[in-house]
Amino acid sequence: MTKNEKKSLNQSLAEWKLFIYNPTTGEFLGRTAKSWGLILLFYLVFYGFLAALFSFTMWVMLQTLNDEVPKYRDQIPSPGLMVFPKPVTALEYTFSRSDPTSYAGYIEDLKKFLKPYTLEEQKNLTVCPDGALFEQKGPVYVACQFPISLLQACSGMNDPDFGYSQGNPCILVKMNRIIGLKPEGVPRIDCVLKNEDIPNVAVYPHNGMIDLKYFPYYGKKLHVGYLQPLVAVQVSFAPNNTGKEVTVECKIDGSANLKSQDDRDKFLGRVTFKITARA
Amino acid sequence: MSQQTPEIYSVELSGTKDIVKTDKGDGKKYRGLKNNCLERKKKNHKEEFQKELHLDDHKLSNRELEKKYGTDIITGLSSTRAAELLARDGPNSLTPPKQTPEIVKFLKQMVGGFSVLLWVGAFLCWIAFGIEYSSNKSASLNNVYLGSVLVLVVIFTGIFAYYQEAKSTNIMSSFKKMIPQQALVIRDSEKKSIPSEQLVVGDIVEVKGGDQIPADIRVLSSQGCRVDNSSLTGESEPQPRSSEFTHENPLETKNICFYSTTCLEGTITGMVINTGDRTIIGHIASLASGVGNEKTPIAIEIEHFVHIVAGVAVSIGILFFIIAVSMNYRVLDSIIFLIGIIVANVPEGLLATVTVTLSLTAKRMAKKNCLVKNLEAVETLGSTSIICSDKTGTLTQNRMTVAHLWFDNQIFVADTSENHSNQVFDQSSRTWASLSKIITLCNRAEFKPGQENVPIMKKAVIGDASETALLKFSEVILGDVMEIRKRNRKVAEIPFNSTNKFQLSIHETDDPHDKRFLMVMKGAPERILEKCSTIMINGEEHPLDESTAKAFHTAYMELGGLGERVLGFCHLYLPAHEFPETYKFDTDAMNFPTSNLCFVGLLSMIDPPRSTVPDAVTKCRSAGIKVIMVTGDHPITAKAIAKSVGIISANSETVEDIARRLSIAVEQVNKWDAKAAVVTGMELKDMSSEQVDEILANYQEIVFARTSPQQKLIIVEGCQRQDAVVAVTGDGVNDSPALKKADIGVAMGIAGSDAAKNAADMVLLDDNFASIVTGVEEGRLIFDNLKKTIAYTLTKNIAELCPFLIYIIVGLPLPIGTITILFIDLGTDITRYQRAYLEWTGYTAFFVGILVQQIADLIIRKTRRNSVFQQGLFRNKVIWVGIASQIVIGLVLSYGLGSVTALSFTMLRAQYWFVAVPHAILIWVYDEVRKLFIRLYPGSWWDKNMYY
Repeated sequence: MTKNEKKSLNQSLAEWKLFIYNPTTGEFLGRTAKSWGLILLFYLVFYGFLAALFSFTMWVMLQTLNDEVPKYRDQIPSPGLMVFPKPVTALEYTFSRSDPTSYAGYIEDLKKFLKPYTLEEQKNLTVCPDGALFEQKGPVYVACQFPISLLQACSGMNDPDFGYSQGNPCILVKMNRIIGLKPEGVPRIDCVLKNEDIPNVAVYPHNGMIDLKYFPYYGKKLHVGYLQPLVAVQVSFAPNNTGKEVTVECKIDGSANLKSQDDRDKFLGRVTFKITARA
Repeated sequence: MSQQTPEIYSVELSGTKDIVKTDKGDGKKYRGLKNNCLERKKKNHKEEFQKELHLDDHKLSNRELEKKYGTDIITGLSSTRAAELLARDGPNSLTPPKQTPEIVKFLKQMVGGFSVLLWVGAFLCWIAFGIEYSSNKSASLNNVYLGSVLVLVVIFTGIFAYYQEAKSTNIMSSFKKMIPQQALVIRDSEKKSIPSEQLVVGDIVEVKGGDQIPADIRVLSSQGCRVDNSSLTGESEPQPRSSEFTHENPLETKNICFYSTTCLEGTITGMVINTGDRTIIGHIASLASGVGNEKTPIAIEIEHFVHIVAGVAVSIGILFFIIAVSMNYRVLDSIIFLIGIIVANVPEGLLATVTVTLSLTAKRMAKKNCLVKNLEAVETLGSTSIICSDKTGTLTQNRMTVAHLWFDNQIFVADTSENHSNQVFDQSSRTWASLSKIITLCNRAEFKPGQENVPIMKKAVIGDASETALLKFSEVILGDVMEIRKRNRKVAEIPFNSTNKFQLSIHETDDPHDKRFLMVMKGAPERILEKCSTIMINGEEHPLDESTAKAFHTAYMELGGLGERVLGFCHLYLPAHEFPETYKFDTDAMNFPTSNLCFVGLLSMIDPPRSTVPDAVTKCRSAGIKVIMVTGDHPITAKAIAKSVGIISANSETVEDIARRLSIAVEQVNKWDAKAAVVTGMELKDMSSEQVDEILANYQEIVFARTSPQQKLIIVEGCQRQDAVVAVTGDGVNDSPALKKADIGVAMGIAGSDAAKNAADMVLLDDNFASIVTGVEEGRLIFDNLKKTIAYTLTKNIAELCPFLIYIIVGLPLPIGTITILFIDLGTDITRYQRAYLEWTGYTAFFVGILVQQIADLIIRKTRRNSVFQQGLFRNKVIWVGIASQIVIGLVLSYGLGSVTALSFTMLRAQYWFVAVPHAILIWVYDEVRKLFIRLYPGSWWDKNMYY
């Protein structure tokens, strides 16, 4: 039996060899050189055509797009909320008042984020009338100033540490930009502490108001220099309260068309984050 | 006759040798190992076989036999001795072919063909998960699910295929006779009836007409015994058996009867000389297991396909593995890509599709009386290029039927169709009245009682084939034959015997005023004519002169030339004064005249072709299938039937025909001028395999006559050397090697032996050749359909693979990419959920894209060669149901389950459904062009490379 198996192995090896290169017919892997040439040429042309077709289709699709405004906006009718500085892990801030390195990253991040909001950067922007939608006809769209002083203690102007060194960390909350969004009513961002026993929370500007003059937004290309309105949240930890952990929930309030309750989307018009202050 | 048989047997032996030889040659070329085993096995068989033939019991005298087997012819074996022998030799029954254990059969279904691919895919999935899990504990379970799905697919289709096979096996086993055979044996000086399995060597048995021979028997004494050896030799001509030793070869001597043959008439007392597997038939049956089963074309096709898929998958996988590594992906990630690509190429649904298609077809064929034992056989049947068919029972109705009559110097044609419905010949002549009377009266056959409601042609009859034919013929034309016989009371009778070659009976007439006796006689025409001095023409008796005798001979030759069995009929009214009513006829003393009779007519009979067969043969021809007839019958009969069913077409001639037409000797005719050939077993046995090849290759229409079933194997092998896919029909036990050897063996359900049915891939429940053709049609359809299915499945695979490949290179999940371009990129921020929603939109849109493309693909795959316009778009209604349900499923997934986020499907903008449509139309146009070129330039490079 073993003898037979050996033979068959040899035989199949020989068959393989013959398949890989057959000297009598000059076939390599079952095809002659000419046959390979033809079939490769065919597939070169074929796939070349397919690639060209793909590019063409893509080009046609891109032609239907407007460089300035996205084609479809119906899936994002209401803005989401996001916080700054960007936390390392999922929406959790941990810092130690006594250890500046623990919050240096946050400060860096905030400074970077607030760079466009410096007076220097804003000097070309328009001062817009408060309390009303600032609708523009174009073709040139101007952006409204957002005086950083509105953020008061969290503006970074007086306190370059944004309160972290005192144990009163600042977190910025921003609303996602949505082209053409026109909030109704008097939108404001309302922040509450989940476990409100000890620390206090302050919201700047006053009451977390978002002025309507920053709406509508006309798109990155058209609306050059646009600044989003910001709201800052400052949580005050008492000096003796070390190792304290608070959960802050912020959501949009006061506007009928800005949703803040969605079962599936936890960021639609709201954001929840956690701050842990260590000794 | 009996002199020809010897040589046929000796062919069997050299035939076996031939097989071994040819296999050796082939094995070197392409078969390999299998044949070495095979050859050895065969050698063993052959040795045993030859040993068997050294059997010399036929030469021994009764005394020597008694001594050899330790028995006594008068008293038989003692019960104790018999029990000892039974314990030593085992029961007298054929060991059933080795049954594969059910679990092995089941596992075979699990690992054959495609399944391997799926198993490998599944394991790769799990390996990929293992790798991911080892580096990242929170790895997604997707790969585990996919692997499990693949395994489930394999298991379910395996179970399904197994169930299908088991079902047909069950039908098979129901064929087996449940009633144990009994044998009448002398033991302890007593006659007893015991189950034939308990027979042992040395038993003295008695067998009477109608019984099956219970073992190989040396005849000790017999009375008018004739046996039907057809289950052994295929020769249905009864053969006499007596206690004389007539031939050296045990297979040819008259004093041995073989197991499983039938004793037709007379009685035999004999000694059992071989039992069970040691009988001749046992040896032949075991020979069948030594012949290898050939791989079916679909198995080869599937293997080829698995190779291609595996090749493509692995090479794309490795290519992209290299790309991924050189693009600085982590090696582990690259391995996961590699596995992902390979798995994506596995056609999950194909296995199920193939199995379901095959079994649906098998079911449909079962309805048309083709029972498929092996699912793959369905498809093999479709690629059949040669059918070697039996004559009796397959091409013909397997019953003698009156075909022609000759009276009043004229030949009349009788209706031989299955129901005899319209007999159109002239029945007004008074000669016919006389002839019909002879046919009715000079006949011992009778209908079995209790069949009043059965159509005449289907009634069971006691009597031999020709008498049955005559009985049914007269019953159809004249009405109640039994009543006529009652009115013409029989007073004396001499039954047919081979020395007289005639049958005679004397009757009172049904005319009350005619007191004469009527003597009627039938028999071999020349013998009947000798006894006649007058001939009846138009009811008048004329003296029989030269010219009428010549007319008789012409008619006789003509009918004989049609391969028909001719009988002559004559009668004589015995003068009332010499034979008064009270006259005592004595059949031994023959106290009545048997010469100077009045010749009335001739009647010829044939086993007529089944009415559906000529059509079926024509169909085969137009489908490029060669039909070869292989029969044990006489060449003339074989040729006549071949002509009447179209196996030899009307305008083609054999060498003999040409010789006759040109009045030259057969040797002078250029062999290759003839289109048809009738080859006898005699000629075949002297031919080398090259000569057989030559005949098979050069003649379009071939009839093998007077062949033994063993020679069938030679013919099958010859056909296979021509690279033909051969279907063979057979019913006898020793057809089984040929059935096994054939690419598809077709056994007869009614006439077939169990051994044949076991060896076959397919069983024809109605024994009808036309059913094979139905099978071929279905098989061709399925081959086409399977090819289409494979192409369809592969198309989808590539499309599904593309995004994955692009993801690796561009790092962008493509289906998401294109859609997200529409939404984002312009500085619009979105929440995580909104992003996920987009992703789902991407998935859904991609899914819809594939769906639309598959609809186009489906329409493309309707045909392999024809344009969709030639085929017609709406002929296949089911395809539209399929497309509609596909769309409905798409709609439900997209809109109906909007809230089930786990499915990652979401509401889709209506226009996305149409994004893929232009592309679908484009691939359809491309394919139409491809098919057009294939049709325009058959055989071209394009045809060869682009025809799937």
